[in-house]
Amino acid sequence: MIDSTKVVGYASPWSVAPGDTVRFHLSSEVLDRAQARIVRIRCADSDRNGPGKKVEHVLSPLDGEIALTDCPTYNGSWGRVPPSPTLRGLKEFSLGLWLFPTRVTGADQSVMARFDAATGHGWRLFLDSTGRLAFQVAADGESTTLTTAEPVCIREWIFVSASFSAPGGRLVLATESLAPDGGRAKAETLEVEMRVPALWPDDLALSFAACLSGQPDGPETVQHFNGKIDRPRLHATALAPAAIRALVETAHPAIGDPDLLGAWDFSQDIPGDRIVDLSAHALHGHVHRLPMRGVTGANWDGTRRSWTEAPAQYGAIHFHDDDIDDAAWPVAAEWTVPEGTRSGFYTLEASADHDGIRTESHMIFFVRPPRGTTTAKVCVIAPTATYLAYANNRSRIDQTHFEVMADGLMVFAPDDIYGQKHREYGSSVYDTHMDDSGVCYSSAHRPILNGRPSNYTFNYVNDTHLLDWLEEQDIAYDVVTDEDLHREGAGLLAPYPVVLTMTHPEYTSKQMLDGLQAYQNGGGRHMYLGGNGFYWRIAFHPTRPGIIELRRGITGLRSWEAEAGEDCLSFTGEPSGLWRSVGRAPQRLTGVGFSAQVFDRSTFYRRLPDSDLPRASFVMEGVDPDERIGDFGLRMGGAAGLEIDRADPDLGTSPDAMILATADRTGPGGIPAPEELPALYRGFSGEESSISRADIVLTPTARGGAVFSVGSIAWCCSLSHNGYDNNVSRITGNVLRRFLDPEPV
Amino acid sequence: MLRTDPTTAHYPVDPARLDLAREFRAAPKGPHGPELRKLVHRFRWSGIGGRWCLITVEAGARWMLALLPDIRGEEIRTFPDTTFTSLEDAEWHVFRIRWKAHTGQDLPEDFSDTDA
Repeated sequence: MIDSTKVVGYASPWSVAPGDTVRFHLSSEVLDRAQARIVRIRCADSDRNGPGKKVEHVLSPLDGEIALTDCPTYNGSWGRVPPSPTLRGLKEFSLGLWLFPTRVTGADQSVMARFDAATGHGWRLFLDSTGRLAFQVAADGESTTLTTAEPVCIREWIFVSASFSAPGGRLVLATESLAPDGGRAKAETLEVEMRVPALWPDDLALSFAACLSGQPDGPETVQHFNGKIDRPRLHATALAPAAIRALVETAHPAIGDPDLLGAWDFSQDIPGDRIVDLSAHALHGHVHRLPMRGVTGANWDGTRRSWTEAPAQYGAIHFHDDDIDDAAWPVAAEWTVPEGTRSGFYTLEASADHDGIRTESHMIFFVRPPRGTTTAKVCVIAPTATYLAYANNRSRIDQTHFEVMADGLMVFAPDDIYGQKHREYGSSVYDTHMDDSGVCYSSAHRPILNGRPSNYTFNYVNDTHLLDWLEEQDIAYDVVTDEDLHREGAGLLAPYPVVLTMTHPEYTSKQMLDGLQAYQNGGGRHMYLGGNGFYWRIAFHPTRPGIIELRRGITGLRSWEAEAGEDCLSFTGEPSGLWRSVGRAPQRLTGVGFSAQVFDRSTFYRRLPDSDLPRASFVMEGVDPDERIGDFGLRMGGAAGLEIDRADPDLGTSPDAMILATADRTGPGGIPAPEELPALYRGFSGEESSISRADIVLTPTARGGAVFSVGSIAWCCSLSHNGYDNNVSRITGNVLRRFLDPEPV
Repeated sequence: MLRTDPTTAHYPVDPARLDLAREFRAAPKGPHGPELRKLVHRFRWSGIGGRWCLITVEAGARWMLALLPDIRGEEIRTFPDTTFTSLEDAEWHVFRIRWKAHTGQDLPEDFSDTDA
């Protein structure tokens, strides 16, 4: 067995052209050096029943030993307002906010603070280890803490205020539920005389959802909070709770009040990382590690579902103690891609022997052709948005249904065991945070254990079966990434006669979809060689490469559901969820769209009469009329399986589309997607219903363009069967050759 | 909030239905009849008897037994001394563990040779 965890890391950026520099951020817990080399990936699947792993060594200055260190990774989003003279020397102050706690962790969770955890000096409003609200002031060796008698209600909004006055004065903590319902309505007001002098450390930042660790080595922050904070206010006098509440309830506090030190409006700059202070003191700050923005505030009334429509109702930020956006590991090596480097899938391979076991780890990246040029007639779009969506997917471990879904024991890779020990690397958008809210952001700037050459085959490894087939057929190709298409649009694809999308291009931004649609309508030929493509609407971060956002919405095959009112993207304000929900079902692009999962066994296609139409006859050339298509393959024995798509004119399949073949006998494991069922009834599985099916569809588009779709993730993993001599390979080759012919389809 | 709740699996397990165990032994990877399907779903969904899984040792050739945690975030336990060269053998191994957990009764390893 080859280990792939003794060295972990990531390449940045993922997409580079000749002349660009890719940087490698590496870490090892046990090795201080490893052998490094650049490899071009042909097939990343080491399964001996297939083509086997095939990589090409690319000579580079990196060949040889590379030094490694053990790099820590820190989690937890938070907000920081830099140290300010305004915050120093306060003899008294009060603060207030709306709070929506989502988890009791067994440790303190700081909500709002100027507090140094190492010295214990400063003040902090926090949830204690049992979920009780507490307010602590500590200075000059004195400390006083007020703690509520009852723990907070999880996932309920409460108003919280606290005030402090100088020695001889008082400490006050007040909480009140916003919901008047029985069982939820709680209120407490606590007061204590205290003797803590107002001697705050000068250089402490004000922090939200964490407090400063005070340690020069280690994480900058500790005590991260899980939940939402809305409209925090800070005032330079010890106001009564009712007066503080009035400050919180107004979206536009009187900024002329010199004692109003801070009135933060988190509804401003939702796509970015700034937090804006409305007060005259301009105590603006930033959030770190991508807390969830564009979330409902305490005053959300359900009349709007987007922060763009009612920003004042989206003044909250949802923080999580497991958020991550960038592991920020130092650069261990870098490579400037030489001119003339072939476009393709690449990795930095780091290998070593450790305790008699070979370790081999890959940091993926993609070399595109020189910008503004092409080096082949065929363009492969690497589905990097989907790779990010699945990055470090732990839902099979954390949720209970997968063994039933697969109708068999789940098979994990050693990487999964390692990833479970290193949850600090963050999760995928299939997962939920530890407070059960959905993970909506995913970043390439961290170790991703499942999107690389390894024993986890979904997506990346499956996709390389298509690369292997292209190489075997001696067909030259360029590679661009989803993010390249997102940022550069249809012009990126226009020079190519043929564009290939891979086994599972599930996650698509508007710019990507528009680009592909324009390419097809401009005469381009698109071969969609996968299943469940173009399904979810995502956005890339407006300014930071390598970060996507998804909101799962309230329909679709969703592993979590957006909280009420939170199905619009914070990066752009667009509705997220299914493309089908906004009138752009995948059928409009490719003729087919997601119909079902079939994770127990794959099946074959049979030809339909349209395959004999003169316009389509080239597709099945060499395939007998009654021949089973793809009755073989590495993914459970068939070319139609895993996730499959069907044609449907109601959802946008073109009137000109020709349905050439179908795989409609998917058995009891063929389970339709939720949005396919208008009602709940028996008999919907592939054993009794053909709604769970994969269709092969050819659709002529405008200006001589065309789309060919196979509607199955498993298709490409059948290409190599029988030494590449099989009808899946034949059909794929027939279409590719015809699509390269400029004669209109 | 969507969750999958392991406690919702409630199809009754009948210790007398050795015919279903025999059907599973004959074809651990299926296809299974409707009754066996329900039994297997109960085993797999409930987690009673353990959230067993496999770790790939050699792709497509050898797998190691492992146990997923009941508490989120805890480690995956591995059993390096229990490996399989066929997925069918692994399925039967875990089926026997779960049968015992649900019924309190052992199934013989080589069930096909018995007339239980």
